Amino acid sequence: MPESVPTAAKPAPVVQVRDMDFRYGDKTALHGISLEVESHRVTALIGPSGCGKSTLLRCINRMNDRVAGARVSKGEILVKGKNIHDADVDLTQLRRQVGMVFQKSNPFPKTIYENVAYGLRVHGVKDKTSLDEAVERSLTQAALWDELKDRLNAHALGLSGGQQQRLCIARAIATMPDVLLMDEPCSALDPIATLKIEELITQLARNYTVVIVTHNMQQAVRVSDFTAFLHLGKLVEFAPTEELFTNPREKLTDSYLRGTFS
Amino acid sequence: MPSDSTTPPGSLGSKILRRGRRTVLGMDPQGLIKNFFGANSSIAIIVLVLIMVFLLREGAGFLSTYHHELEIYRKAGLEFCDIADTPLKQQQSMASALRRALSMELEPLVKNARERRDAAFLYKRALDEKSAEGAAVFENSLLFTPGEKNQIKSEIAALTPESIDLPPTLQKLAAEFTEKDREAKKTFRAIIEAEEIFEEATEPVAEILDELKTHATETKEAANEFHTLEVGRQQLLGAAASAHGAEKDEFLKEAELSRVDAPDYAARIETILEQRDDLSKALGEYAAAVEEAVKPLQSDGLSPEAAKLIASVQKALPTHLNHIQNAARNLKAWKWDEPVSFWRAVSSFAFGTGWITNSSWQDFYGVVPLLTGSLLISFVALLIATPISVTAAIYTNQFATDREKELIKPVIEFIQAIPSVVLGFIGIAVVGDLIKGVSQWEFLSWIPGFPIQERLNIFNAGCLLAFMAVPTMFSLSEDALNNVPRSYAEASDALGATKLQTVFRVIVPAAISGILSAILLGLGRVIGETMVVLLVAGNRIAIPDFGDGLGVIFQPAHTLTGIIAQELGEVSRGSSHWQALFMVGILLFVISLSVNWCARTIAKRFEHSKA
Amino acid sequence: MNNPFAGDHSSIQRRETAARWLLRLGSYVVVLTTVAIFAFITVKGLPHAVKPGFLTELTSTLHVIESKDGKVFKTNPVEADVIKKRLGEGFQSEKTISYSGGGILGPIVGTALLVVVSVSVALFLGVCCAIYLSEYAKKGKFIEMVRLAILNLAGVPSVVFGLFGLGAFVLTAPVLTGTPADRAIFVIPLGFTNLSFQGWDTCVLSGGFTLAFVILPVIITASEQCLQAVPQGFRETSMALGATRWQTIWRSVLPFATPGILTSTILGIARAAGETAPIMFTAALAFKDKLPWQKDLPPLPADAGMFAHWEQSVQRFLGIFTESVQALPYHIYTLAAKIPQNEYSEQAQYGSVFVFLVLVASLAATSIWLRIHLRKKYKW
Repeated sequence: MPESVPTAAKPAPVVQVRDMDFRYGDKTALHGISLEVESHRVTALIGPSGCGKSTLLRCINRMNDRVAGARVSKGEILVKGKNIHDADVDLTQLRRQVGMVFQKSNPFPKTIYENVAYGLRVHGVKDKTSLDEAVERSLTQAALWDELKDRLNAHALGLSGGQQQRLCIARAIATMPDVLLMDEPCSALDPIATLKIEELITQLARNYTVVIVTHNMQQAVRVSDFTAFLHLGKLVEFAPTEELFTNPREKLTDSYLRGTFS
Repeated sequence: MPSDSTTPPGSLGSKILRRGRRTVLGMDPQGLIKNFFGANSSIAIIVLVLIMVFLLREGAGFLSTYHHELEIYRKAGLEFCDIADTPLKQQQSMASALRRALSMELEPLVKNARERRDAAFLYKRALDEKSAEGAAVFENSLLFTPGEKNQIKSEIAALTPESIDLPPTLQKLAAEFTEKDREAKKTFRAIIEAEEIFEEATEPVAEILDELKTHATETKEAANEFHTLEVGRQQLLGAAASAHGAEKDEFLKEAELSRVDAPDYAARIETILEQRDDLSKALGEYAAAVEEAVKPLQSDGLSPEAAKLIASVQKALPTHLNHIQNAARNLKAWKWDEPVSFWRAVSSFAFGTGWITNSSWQDFYGVVPLLTGSLLISFVALLIATPISVTAAIYTNQFATDREKELIKPVIEFIQAIPSVVLGFIGIAVVGDLIKGVSQWEFLSWIPGFPIQERLNIFNAGCLLAFMAVPTMFSLSEDALNNVPRSYAEASDALGATKLQTVFRVIVPAAISGILSAILLGLGRVIGETMVVLLVAGNRIAIPDFGDGLGVIFQPAHTLTGIIAQELGEVSRGSSHWQALFMVGILLFVISLSVNWCARTIAKRFEHSKA
Repeated sequence: MNNPFAGDHSSIQRRETAARWLLRLGSYVVVLTTVAIFAFITVKGLPHAVKPGFLTELTSTLHVIESKDGKVFKTNPVEADVIKKRLGEGFQSEKTISYSGGGILGPIVGTALLVVVSVSVALFLGVCCAIYLSEYAKKGKFIEMVRLAILNLAGVPSVVFGLFGLGAFVLTAPVLTGTPADRAIFVIPLGFTNLSFQGWDTCVLSGGFTLAFVILPVIITASEQCLQAVPQGFRETSMALGATRWQTIWRSVLPFATPGILTSTILGIARAAGETAPIMFTAALAFKDKLPWQKDLPPLPADAGMFAHWEQSVQRFLGIFTESVQALPYHIYTLAAKIPQNEYSEQAQYGSVFVFLVLVASLAATSIWLRIHLRKKYKW
């Protein structure tokens, strides 16, 4: 919660972005971004469409590697103190520890159980009891266990939109990542489902470090501890959420928050 | 149009407006154009219906024609002869097994002597014909010691053109062989005798049967002639019914002239039935003799192969005797005037194990050998094509670089354009010899059926058809993989799955219905293919011998499509053979529709699960 | 420095690479087989295909004459007699090999004629059908049935099309004739002549129509795709300007779809040229010593007028389509299956196969290349 920003005993930042430039081919999408994400807090990235907030998010677990010609051209990203572009970083290990939830819910066309267990299976967990435990834990943390415990073998595509998105969250936390990246997780949901997910995010902050991209400023206020405002590929302002929304330091932030943005 | 009144006549606007109101035959031109295209679009339906209509028109008469033929088959007594004759055919394969066992045993004993004799005689002929090649073969032969070689050479050189007697060494070699042969035959006297009894025992039965068969054939011919004339007469009477005056009289007179009496089946069959008891008795004697001959055979001291053959004969004996007994019983129960049920014609086509045409005895149109051939070949083709095309599709869709894609996709699409007759030709010219050559390699002899006898066989056809099925299966599988939402791969990647895990745990399972449907459509393509199987399958009309286990795929076979292509050009229109071939066409049509239906049903399930 | 993201690289990496190569193998096997087939046919066939006369002479029986002094003459029936006479005593032996002499002009011409007929018919019917499906049709039972029929038609075995062509075109199709044949199913008298359903006999027309239905599904599907690829905006703009549906189709849709339709038609040509089973009973002959237009017509009387000459040329032209012809695929089938194989028949076989493959393959390659090219060019 915004008011609970601790001042003392500040934990070490889990993600550090240092003066990073990012390019798609010969087009620079991010300029000189520097950002520190604190452990067990919710950090929101806001900004107008095309400002690069999603790109920045996808840099953190190197999902941008999937895009041809996309690369970090300057600076570095450290997760848990390790530069993720080092040659000895195993991408699958990185992504296991930096989970991600997407804008549109995308459960696999499998059963609910298999969806949640998928991350563990691909990392070699075969033991049935540990899989069962992990599924129960993840679904409980995603506030789905009570709803779904009797139909774990039902097809995931039969769930409602909100349930599907929470299932995706459960799937992402099943591998117990340190960081959970969320790319506008509520943009395709109705208000009630959105509310549930927002509640869930604040809960998740107890166990995980959450970085969330949102286009909804109220949402950022509701769920995040810190907020970063990006504009045209540049980080304009990064501050505790309350501070940024009540007393922005930059003029640009102010006009964006007021809606008098040109 | 209400705006008409506000537009001054003759202005541009009124011209534009007026154009829409012309009518042709009471319809406005737009409707006419639409109906024209609409009518055209039903062309596919019309063609499908027409295909069915024409296949049925030519083929529908088959069952009644065939029924009629089977009726004559019974009335004329041919069926009676076959009851006794069919089990005797089994005897031939047993006898040949005995002969093979015998030659297997004799061969090693006499081989050396025979080869020495033959080599020497060949050398003499080579010299006579002045063939340097033949002489060289002798020089390099390991069958003789150098001393013997020189002896033979000098003796042949000493021959004068006038001399009639062979050189002494050659005579000696010939005598050596005869002696060895005699000795060997003495050792295996038991088998030789059994084989002889086997051959001779059938003679009394065959004698009676020959006589009966001639008689039955005569009756059948008379019946066929009567049928032809009767059909002609009915036509004349029909023509008379619609004609008038003198013409009518003319027709009636002609019809009267062509009247003949139906053959007297009852009287003619008597000749056959008289022999019923003799035939039964002869069969009984035959059974006793055969049993006597085979039972005491020993396989001790024989080579394993020969022992296996002898054992197989002994194993087959009880069944054979059983068949003979049944035949004797059936002969007693057989009635010439029992009506042939219509179902018999249907089952004899659908489940008949013999496709026998142009026979001087009796034609049978049993589709089972053709269907088995078609299915076996398709099965082999699918077995080869599925892994190749599915892995190629997965690779191209998920792993290939753009440059590889630009190579693989057009090349595979291009295969579709290779005419099937060209592939068939390659099967004859290249693949056949290749397979046969490979099958002779020593270290591959563990494969069942190797070394293979026939160049043109089920496997050869299957390989080529697999190649033909690849484009269909590849491109449809690739489509299915392509239709898997990108977000699945993204989610899997974000969970830290490797590329391989993503592909095989998420993407392929999501596309599996599409891939299955692609495989089925490939099957449809393979079953319906004609030229390759016609040229390459070997065209032996018999149910392949499944006794070889997997080796069955190295036997020749005939197919549904091949038989039509091969025989339709040579039969007269409207004959039972012609109709039978159209029935095969109907069967093919039905098969292809059902395969298509299955593929679509599976693909549809896929669409639903995606939504 | 400790690495929280260290992975068990070697074993996973090895498995990934192995699997990738295994998958790659499937693709490469197919590609290499194709290349091998082409290379083999080219090496064996090219030397015979470039022999003088192979492409410009009619097929004949090959006579191989050996003289006593070991010379071998390969020649046609007419010259064989001359050579035998000249050799006289020196004549040793003569072998005749059916269909293997001369060239393959007859089959090439026959295939070309069949393709012309079939593609004209299929293109007309197919494009009309595609226009309806893409431009007029609304969802409904009828359209579902049409699509189902197209799919099923594509799956019908080619030999069944052959049976259909035999029943429908060879034995039943209507002709205008003064003297209906006995086998006619029924005859409609038209006064000056009769419409007799007695079939067209085995001829180019029967074979061409049969082939047209074989390639019809291909043409319909491809044409519909091309029409669908024209952006909806083109139609809306045109309709918004007050054009009728047909004007829209004619001026704003068809012109943009035509290149694509023609491209896929080339593939249809390749398919039609390659089919054997449908023409076996409807058009093809194993041997013919004349081209379709070299027909013996009764000589005209010296005083024949313009009209008679004109009538005869029309007859001659129509005669092209009512003759049965040799066709390349059927010629190859004959050479491969109906005559004993030896070194001389092999030359004719490989030569014909090479020419046929080059013809069909270049058509297909053109089509595939054009399509890739068009796709790059027209991006709406």
